[in-house]
Amino acid sequence: MLGRMEGDYDVVVVGGGPAGLAAAIGARDAGATRVLVVDREDEAGGILLQCIHAGFGLHYFKEELTGPEYAERFVARALDRDIDVVGSAYVSGAGLDSDGTRRVRVMREGHGIRTVRSRAMVLAMGCRERTRGALHIPGTRPAGVLTAGLAQRFVNVMGLLPGRRVAILGSGDIGLIMARRLTLEGCEVVGVFELMPFSNGLTRNVVQCLGDFGIPLHLSTTVVEIHGQDRVDKITVAPVGADLAPDLSRCREVACDTLLLSIGLVPENELSQGLGVELDVVTQGPRVSSTLETSLPGVFACGNVLHVHDLCDYVTEEALLAGRFAGELAGGVKRPRDNIRVVPGDNVRYCVPHTLAPGREHTIYLRSERPLRPAAIRVGDLVRRKLGFVTPAEMITFRIKPDVLDRFHGEALRIDLLGEPAGPHLAGAEP
Amino acid sequence: MSPVTTTLTCIACPIGCALRLTHEGRDIVELAGATCDRGAKYAAEELIDPRRQLSTTVAIEGARSARLPVKVTRPVPRDRVLEAVAAIHRLRVRAPVRAGEVLLEALLGEEGLAVVATRSLGRVGP
Amino acid sequence: MSERYDVVVIGGGVVGAAIARELSRFRLRIALLERQAEVGFGTSKTNSGIIHPGHDTSSATLKGRLVVRGNALYDRLAAELHFGFRRIGQLNVALEPADLVALERLKAQGDAKGVPGLELWDPARLRREEPNLSRELRGALHAPSAGVINPYELVFALVESAARNGVELAVDCPVTALAADGDGLAAHTPRGVFRGRFVLNCAGVASDRVAALAGAATFTITPRKGEEYMLDKRLLGLVRRLVFPVPSPKTKGTLIIPTFDGTIMVGPTAEDVLDRDDVATTARGAREVFAFVRRLCPSIDPRDAITAFAGLRAVADGNDFVIGPTSVRGFVNVAGIQSPGLTAAPAIAEHVRDLLAAEGLALVAKPDFAPEVRAPARFAHLAPEVQEALAARDPRFARVVCRCELVTEAEIDDAVDHGARTLDGLKFRTRAGMGRCQGGFCTPRAMEILARRLGVPLHAVTKRGGGSWIALPMGAEQEA
Repeated sequence: MLGRMEGDYDVVVVGGGPAGLAAAIGARDAGATRVLVVDREDEAGGILLQCIHAGFGLHYFKEELTGPEYAERFVARALDRDIDVVGSAYVSGAGLDSDGTRRVRVMREGHGIRTVRSRAMVLAMGCRERTRGALHIPGTRPAGVLTAGLAQRFVNVMGLLPGRRVAILGSGDIGLIMARRLTLEGCEVVGVFELMPFSNGLTRNVVQCLGDFGIPLHLSTTVVEIHGQDRVDKITVAPVGADLAPDLSRCREVACDTLLLSIGLVPENELSQGLGVELDVVTQGPRVSSTLETSLPGVFACGNVLHVHDLCDYVTEEALLAGRFAGELAGGVKRPRDNIRVVPGDNVRYCVPHTLAPGREHTIYLRSERPLRPAAIRVGDLVRRKLGFVTPAEMITFRIKPDVLDRFHGEALRIDLLGEPAGPHLAGAEP
Repeated sequence: MSPVTTTLTCIACPIGCALRLTHEGRDIVELAGATCDRGAKYAAEELIDPRRQLSTTVAIEGARSARLPVKVTRPVPRDRVLEAVAAIHRLRVRAPVRAGEVLLEALLGEEGLAVVATRSLGRVGP
Repeated sequence: MSERYDVVVIGGGVVGAAIARELSRFRLRIALLERQAEVGFGTSKTNSGIIHPGHDTSSATLKGRLVVRGNALYDRLAAELHFGFRRIGQLNVALEPADLVALERLKAQGDAKGVPGLELWDPARLRREEPNLSRELRGALHAPSAGVINPYELVFALVESAARNGVELAVDCPVTALAADGDGLAAHTPRGVFRGRFVLNCAGVASDRVAALAGAATFTITPRKGEEYMLDKRLLGLVRRLVFPVPSPKTKGTLIIPTFDGTIMVGPTAEDVLDRDDVATTARGAREVFAFVRRLCPSIDPRDAITAFAGLRAVADGNDFVIGPTSVRGFVNVAGIQSPGLTAAPAIAEHVRDLLAAEGLALVAKPDFAPEVRAPARFAHLAPEVQEALAARDPRFARVVCRCELVTEAEIDDAVDHGARTLDGLKFRTRAGMGRCQGGFCTPRAMEILARRLGVPLHAVTKRGGGSWIALPMGAEQEA
């Protein structure tokens, strides 16, 4: 129930975004009777509440919804199932008691600080945006340099514009969507600059968010200096070579009062680290088993805290699964430990989960290192399947049927992506 | 009427094929560059009646948030997106409002284009 | 507005703040004028935060004499003003055989000046004490009296103490003209005229311009830029002490600084610049800093930089402090306060106090001078039980504003009560926005609280005053 938090729980879910809500529903549907979702914002729903564009729910609801609609439906489903959802509540610490009970310390507006215990815990804290510091952009430190997500909150929730003349660094989907959003609100978007020779966003967004409005996309280009005392007044951009190093002899200045950064997301794992959960250096999320359980027994992870997803529907799918396993564990179901290690091979940046067990179907999420075409996936010597075109911007999901693993007798299952490196195909893009 | 060539980027899949479309008015004479059938379908739609999904926000009074997210129930003509946004931005809403509530019918004078709230916002304060 | 004061202090950096606070012990009417939106937002904010032992400056210079006294004053100052201060010690390390000779010379200089505890360490001792430093280092000079502070905290606390004892603070108050006025001077500002029997020029990088306004242009300031790079918490505890090379005549060199908060900072560079607003970091500066500090400590990686900033040292010709009365009656310079100005500041304040007395200012001690200010609440540093008790008593302690640094709404309110008027003012008082997300999450909440407390609309909130607006109101054009 909204706002209720009493006693101890079967499953506590940290984070009330799409992952946390789906995990709670998964746990409840797997038989857990007492499930709690703790969210730090006033209202559950996470970043969906500021993603007002359509594109959510095609898989799960079989219709295309906006972010707030998707969030509202999930909150309603959670409440229908008697799941407790609390907002304005921050989990400032977590731990395991000596008997293995999980506990979280919840700071909650109007309710002080309380420790809540549970049989299982699901980490669903999401991710944060990379900032200017991560890129070491030299120059002054004026107002007007902000992440695309913060700008999105300004515009879609707070009723503020981040500026009048906006440059965007990074062509991830948030940056592309904000280019359109700001244009619709009357801002001038002077250009999107992308370090890589390909866009990191969906083709649909490149065409409909930039192309429709004549906003130039400059590939293989980056920002090398920020200017302005109190407020940004211009930026210097330069083309980059194959080594991604800027060619400073060819820089030029672009007048703008705002620089939006859409340069990637980082899983927010400080709570996990405090718990002692083992992290993957590539995903920067927990290492998880085929039941999405972290290195700590009874502690599960899903959504963007596990690895950064590009589609919310995949978050939902993964989180329902994590919640289900957490719910089963809380109900006393014991499963044999995984005995197969997944090894990312050629052109594979990472795979999640990190281990598998025979006898069950598995969904493997993986991301390629580079665009490949035509591409194929090879799973050990067991399966080889054509994928058409793959790009780092789009996560690949691959299902492994139980009979496949029955034919596997090794300990390390290597997954490769095969294919020819593919160049950019986007017609609208200028070098 | 003489044939005209238009270039489009196909959005049917991540490949983003560069489609070269030769057409006389709304009749496609030749399509090059597509690597699958979906390209032809997309090209035809884009040529005859290109439409876009549209969502934005409107000012709301008496709610916790300053803006209420809204969407248009069906795609709007691509070339009238800015006109549609201007019409939507003239709306003023007072909380409470429920997601799905119709705020404006017949946007751009087109039957079936309704503007609806996409978030429920309760009333706060007086 | 036109008001008459005994002393008008121009410049709310650490020097002006320390002097104002020292003079607030006496029955005097004092004004402190700051051109920016908040105090400490100039050179002080971008200082390395090091309380130097003083062995690296010659006692033939004024700065060399004031630094040792300044260092000694910090224990009491920290106890009274409750800013964070820790004597973590300093190492000057020898990269070359010739450096060993220089270290002995430094030790002799320091011993002669009374710098306590100087000790030469051989490579074995150095490795034992600081195992992460380069194994190529040939030895070190240890100075245990070196300390670290957060310099902006010091300025905030000094000004609060001064204000508590009657000093009138005026911000957004640049001095545009100085004119003779009876037996003193009148400082003209957009916020009125401040008439003072004595006007103290503590204007930092702008102090030569302020001197020119008074008709006492006897020196010029050449800003010397220093770039600093803050490193990821991955490196927490990498070194325990400040690590310096052997100093050169121009600079103490590029350092490894374990800040008071525990994060590692590297820098500064030292580059003379022409533009007094040039606080831009540069690609070259970053390359130089990391290339050099990796010789001291190879495990530092440029990828660890989470944020960078630059500040300007106010270097006067002659390379020493310029402190004293001028040909213009009542106009006193406290200028050219470059490194080790932060360390020397409390001693500079005493020095200026005595100098003003010698110039005829009557110093009558106030019996009710209150030396202490309350420590700002720092929720994240409290024991869990204390946190729980606070949150039970005051719900604002259970409302988290900045989750990276665990800053609660009560602390934000407290910062506003203590004079924060901008997002940077909140950040430097509470650390909200200083963490991993660099304000990505807490900016909206911090803006909302600041706007509510200051009684202004959201779009009137600035990063650091002036034209540093954050956002524009939406729909203004639509409604027009």
